[in-house]
Amino acid sequence: MTSTREEILAGVRQVAAEHLDHQGPLPLDAHLVEDLQLDSLQLMTLAAEVENHFRVLLEPEDEEAIATVRDLVDVVRHKKGGAS
Amino acid sequence: MNVPPAVLDHESLEASAPWHLSEALDLAAERSAGDSRFLGLELLDRRGATARAVSWHELRQRVRRRAAGLRDRGVRPGDRLALVLQTSVEFFELLLAASEVGAVPVPLYPPVRLGGPADYAARTCAMLAAVDACWLVTDARLRKRLRSVLEDVKELVVLDVDELEGSTEARGVARDPEDFALVQFSSGTTGSPRPVALTHRALLAQARILNSFWPDEADGPSHSGVSWLPLYHDMGLVGGLLPVLLRPSRLSLLSPESFVSRPALWLQTISRKRATVSAAPDFAYRLCVERVRDDQLEGVDLSTWRFALNGAEAVSSRTLQQFGERFAPWGLRPEALTPVYGLAEAALAVTFSAPETSFVARRFERSSLEAGTARPSADGVDIVSVGRPVPHFEVEIRDVSGKPAPEGCVGSVWARGPSLFAEYLGQPEATAATLQEGWMNTGDLGFFDDGELFLCGRDKDVLVLNGRNIDPTWVERAVAAAEGVLWGGVVAASWELGADDGERLVVLAERSLPAARPASEIVDDVRRAVLRETGLRAERVALFQPGDLPRTSSGKLRRQAAAEHYFSGRLEGTAE
Repeated sequence: MTSTREEILAGVRQVAAEHLDHQGPLPLDAHLVEDLQLDSLQLMTLAAEVENHFRVLLEPEDEEAIATVRDLVDVVRHKKGGAS
Repeated sequence: MNVPPAVLDHESLEASAPWHLSEALDLAAERSAGDSRFLGLELLDRRGATARAVSWHELRQRVRRRAAGLRDRGVRPGDRLALVLQTSVEFFELLLAASEVGAVPVPLYPPVRLGGPADYAARTCAMLAAVDACWLVTDARLRKRLRSVLEDVKELVVLDVDELEGSTEARGVARDPEDFALVQFSSGTTGSPRPVALTHRALLAQARILNSFWPDEADGPSHSGVSWLPLYHDMGLVGGLLPVLLRPSRLSLLSPESFVSRPALWLQTISRKRATVSAAPDFAYRLCVERVRDDQLEGVDLSTWRFALNGAEAVSSRTLQQFGERFAPWGLRPEALTPVYGLAEAALAVTFSAPETSFVARRFERSSLEAGTARPSADGVDIVSVGRPVPHFEVEIRDVSGKPAPEGCVGSVWARGPSLFAEYLGQPEATAATLQEGWMNTGDLGFFDDGELFLCGRDKDVLVLNGRNIDPTWVERAVAAAEGVLWGGVVAASWELGADDGERLVVLAERSLPAARPASEIVDDVRRAVLRETGLRAERVALFQPGDLPRTSSGKLRRQAAAEHYFSGRLEGTAE
């Protein structure tokens, strides 16, 4: 099943709100550490819950390339079969 | 059956075997064949379902094949074998296989997910160098993340855990209880990683001491443990694995990641497994209070949980209070909350609060504590007692001249007991500074009140956050990169006397002149720099004018004094 970038972004927002108590906007260009100020426990939570939510498995090489919300959305989208 | 006695007297500790991890495994394997209560290990997936269960007997078979694999690859007695593995059966196989071939296992943290702190590679390289590791065992998945580490450490041979099985007959390696059985790090840092070397005898002495707190009773529950603690951490490894190896019991393991992303899973698992013992640092209890929702607790019954051990960082009375109240409706007994105190250098526990009684917190006057005397005061700072020395341990408070101080005097906490570490590997000076005539300087400050130990600070420079020991210079270096901060004008602190919410990272920084940038921008930059480099959140950032923070006559910052002045309100920042 393919998903659009908007659908995935909405899912990531939901994960961030539910599991990281992240209120407020989640712009695609936001850097996970620099802008959203996620600490290492929160990064762990985000990775695990995104996997749960979308039923995907993030591989180490995917994770290395993830610095922003956009990167995360693109990786998930790619995994879900959408064009990146 | 060798069931540990309720009170462990000197004779029973000396007389009891085994004193080598391989012997302990052999014994557990033999017992599990004839006694179904020796259940072994169980690995749970991130939903809490059983992913793998291994009996001790099966584990021993697997350990033998692993040991043969290590031997085939050339691992020799005394070699240091770094283990970078997630919580898994394979971790235990390799840990015990190392013992079987006489190598010394060194568990290290696996890389954090989604990038994590920028200097993971540097810190890991420093730890590998500190133990002079010649082998590193990891899996294919983690190996990719370790690439930059592996490029930097040339002499290291990397072994893939999935290709490490052999079939050669075991050649008898002498099982000497005085050999090193484990190296654990007291401080996960680049600046000064301290590899704590522990002998087989020390580890098994600690395991017996722990087991003496939950004796098997004829009509009592059969004890079992649940742990999500990382296995590179003393509370997770020494506290989790070793006690169950010696008794009829089972340990159910969740990954740290499963707990952090869904704290309710910990409580659900304790309930489902009817576990009696489960330990965690203060932050984990706080995380449960903050994050667990009622709807996640449907059907949960925490009444079997007799030892909710809280240690590895400062214990907050508010956390205990809130956790106790929050989960009482689900059967949690207030007397289950058990503050404990220990450190990697003691293998683990040094003091325990009295089992099955409510925790003790008392209030003491702040100013008198700072002056070196514990004086009760109704509106003073609230400190939780960490209890009394565990069996076979002695604890002494020493004054600045090194003499034993009487009850009520604040001083350095020294400990002596059968599970102390042998040395900081290859660091004789650091060892000599810590171990003196059989006693160990814990680096913590405390006092006795009514026979109970209360901790009130540290006389060593270390931050303890989320159960991890952290070298403050690591944070300070990260802060120094922020524009507008004076080079050499930064202090990182975590211990606030009587703080309600446990230990939190606080950064005190002097501004560089001229003050061209708005303070709020500098504060933001400092936060970001700390997160990026260390993965830690700076809860408070306070800015000062150059020269405001206390210094020595040679101009070096006095870290302790700066933190003390700030927390007591004597030193106020110009912006926070």
